[in-house]
This record gives sequence, C-alpha cells and structure tokens, in this order.
Amino acid sequence: MNQRASGRWVIFLSFFVAYLLAIVPFPEWAMNYRPQWVAMVLIYWAMALPYRVGIGFAWTAGLMMDILEGSLLGLNALALAIIAYITLSLHQRLRMFSSLQQSGVVLALIGLHLMMTHWMKIATEQAVASSLLFLLGALSSAFIWPWMFVLLRQMRRSFGVR
Amino acid sequence: MSLEYRVAAFVVLSVAVMFADSRFDYLDRVRYSLGFLTAPVYWVADTPARISYWIDDVFVSHGDLIEENERLREELLFAQRELQLLAGLATENSRLRALQEASASVDGRVLTAEIINISSSPGSRRVLINRGATDGVLEGQALLDAHGLMGQVVEVLPFTSWVMLITDSRHGTPVQVNRNGERAIARGSRGDIPELELEYVPDTSDIEVGDLLVSSGLGQRFPKDYPVAEVISVVHDRGQPFARIRARPLAQMDRTRHVMLLALSADDSQRIGPSSAAPVWLDTNQQFSSTSIVDQIEEQIDELSAQPHEEVVNPAPESVGLDSPMPSEVADTVPEAPTGQE
Repeated sequence: MNQRASGRWVIFLSFFVAYLLAIVPFPEWAMNYRPQWVAMVLIYWAMALPYRVGIGFAWTAGLMMDILEGSLLGLNALALAIIAYITLSLHQRLRMFSSLQQSGVVLALIGLHLMMTHWMKIATEQAVASSLLFLLGALSSAFIWPWMFVLLRQMRRSFGVR
Repeated sequence: MSLEYRVAAFVVLSVAVMFADSRFDYLDRVRYSLGFLTAPVYWVADTPARISYWIDDVFVSHGDLIEENERLREELLFAQRELQLLAGLATENSRLRALQEASASVDGRVLTAEIINISSSPGSRRVLINRGATDGVLEGQALLDAHGLMGQVVEVLPFTSWVMLITDSRHGTPVQVNRNGERAIARGSRGDIPELELEYVPDTSDIEVGDLLVSSGLGQRFPKDYPVAEVISVVHDRGQPFARIRARPLAQMDRTRHVMLLALSADDSQRIGPSSAAPVWLDTNQQFSSTSIVDQIEEQIDELSAQPHEEVVNPAPESVGLDSPMPSEVADTVPEAPTGQE
C-alpha cells in the first residue's frame, strides 16, 4: 500500500464530510450563518498540498456541489476554482500566518466565494437580490477555521498524506 | 502551464458549462449521471432522520399503539363518509360534464414520497424528495401534502428529485378563489416569511381575508381544485394600481415529511416536455418580471378566448360540492375574470 493511495482516501473523506455538512438541513433562522464547509476544506488542502489539490480538483469539487445544491452546473465550480487559485498563489504566506491571520484570509476568501455565487445566481436568475445577510456565512466560517485547521492537520499527519 | 493560464481556462470552461446548462439541455444527461455520485451523500445525510423515525416506530408502547389505532379508525370513518358524499358528487359531475361534452381530467393516482432535504441556499425554497427517475417521476409533477398543494418537480435525478415550493419567489401558481371563482396568480413572496402574494389583482376584485384559494388548473401543470392557500391580508392602497393580497399556504411546508406526488395523466406527460406548448407562466426557468407577466396574462386570455365555450364554463359543475355559491353564479363570474386580470 503506497502512501499516495491512502492519502487520496483521506482527502476524499474530508470532502465527503464537507458535502454532508453542507446539505444537512438548518433551521430557517440559521440559514445565513451556515459555514461554507466545502470551500474551507478546499482552502485547507490547497494550502497544505498545493501540488495535489489544484484548480482542476477545485473545479470538479464545485461541480459536485452544483449537483448537490441543484444549482446551475458550473456555478460553484467557477467560484471554487477562483478560490483555489487565490489560495494556491498565497499558500506559502498562508502557512506562515498565525491562526488569527489565517482566519482573516478565510473571511475574505469565503466572503468572495459567497459574493461570486450570489452574483452568478442573480445573473442567471436563480435567485432574487436580497439583503447582504448571507455574508454572515463568511463570519461563521472564519470563526470555525482554527478548529477545522487543527483537525485537518491532525488528520493529514496521522494518515501521512503528502 | 502556469497557474494564471490554468485558472483562466477553468473560468472559461465554467462559463461555457453554465451557458450550456441554462440555454440547452445537452447537460441534463451529465447532471443525471452525476446524480448517481451524489446519491450516497443524501442517503447519509438523511440517516439521522431515518433512525429517529425507526426508533419512533420500534419503541412505542402498546397503549400508544391502541390509542393511535383508535384515532386512525375514527379518521378513516370520517374520511369514508366524505368519500361516500364525493362518490355521489363525482357521478353527478361526470354526468354534467357529459352533458357539456367536456372531458373528465381529474386523475387521482399518487405516489407517496418523503422530503429528505431542503435547499441550503437562502434565496430559494426547494426541497428534495426520495423519489427519482427510477420511480417514474417526471418534471412538472405536482407535490401535495395532506393539507394542500406544495410545489412542482423541477429537476429529476436518478433516485431523488428537486421540488420547487409554491412559496419560492420565482414560482407562480394559478389559483382561483373558491368562493366566487375569481382568478389570480399566486407568487411566492420575496421576503423571509414563506407566503404567497397575489399579483396584479385589481382593487375592485372581491377577495376577502379568510378566502380559500384553490388551484385553477390553468397552466395545466397543477390539477384543478386542490387547496393552495388562505388569504391572510388584503390591503387596498389608493396610491397603488393593484390590491396587495397575501396568503398563507395550507400545506405544512416546513413541518411535514410525508408528501404525495400526483401522477400526470397520459396526455399531460406529453405536454410537459421542454419543447412543449404548455403555457409559459408556470415554466420555472423563466424569471417573472412585471412586463413579461402582463404578456403572459394576455397570452392566457388569448388562449382562453380561442378555446370553445364549454371550456370556459366548466368550473361550474366541478365546484358544486364545494363551499361555493350556486353554479349559475359561478358560471356568470368566470368568463369575466380574464378581463378583470388584464
């Protein structure tokens, strides 16, 4: 059993859990606070293993998200590809950051992700323009980031994903 | 290849895919196949709910069961009594229809389903049900619960389907007031509260708080005479050209899990295809805008006037058994309704 194969298993599992969390029903009032799990997991892997989780991977992950959400094909794919691009170009700096600084970057990235999907949904008439409260999801994502980072790093180390 | 080129390539690819998906139906096959991959995610996500239902079923006391059994038997008795009445009405109805040479279109076949997920994006109100193409679900089928109309199927995947609820802001339901046959289009509200708004209803129309709205069957997506909503507020504002009427859906959108899918009758299923001639105002791919809806209503009126006369008056015999005035009154008001909507 080589390490490459076992590593892939860990990455897929983390994405599977992220998809699950992304579609688990939330109460109506908490809808806006829903963290963007898939985007966060993607940011982590793109930062930790930039040579394995690249833009193509992000695009495919986004396509799956589109199917899960029932939204237009390519919408989440585009947003996640851009998020992956920014993360990849920043990954060396991101690794040096303290967890607070990382949270700040995650806040900006998830905010951008939410804005992009929102704009695209409005442009393709899948949603109507509403308040900007949906951006609260970026705040909750940034809040959860430090714990998620530690958890995923632990997973990556103990399973030897490289 | 550098990062910039790669991201540019994927951006172009995404835009192409989005364009293709929104304009053409080449990608429906891709979507359908990818549905096999996403099915396990839904299955796992639904596990807690299934387990809790299972526990409810298994760990229930004998006394509770007897009690429930008794209650159900009582309900069945009530339902059967109503059914007896309905049987009489149905024969009367079909006789009257036969007199008018109109075709009977009420089809009672249903498929039970369960809601297994709700849409996670705040802007849309959609639910996922556990029936898909393998169960024979078709796009356009209506979803009901025990209390009223819930929505229609907008996307069919192998084992699941997405249903757009009637409270989605992009969904319009053709309704009529059960009391007097006044027609309107009920659109999902844009706000946070899942409600319906009646659009373009003239100030002079006779709609009151407490009126029952039933599906009018125009648009040929939803069957006729299913309860849809109850009017909860009517505001006449002199500064506005139309009355502002809000209604609360009767279906228990956020509480129920068990729902019914209504089978399309044979000729309907042909009509539902993407290239169908079904009236456009129920085509959920279209955004309702204030300009287009007027066109759509005009189209509807054109269609109505093009139809033979008995089509227009056929609500009359159907509503005999319901809480409505005499058939003659209904027949009087119905042909006037289109001009009122204009």
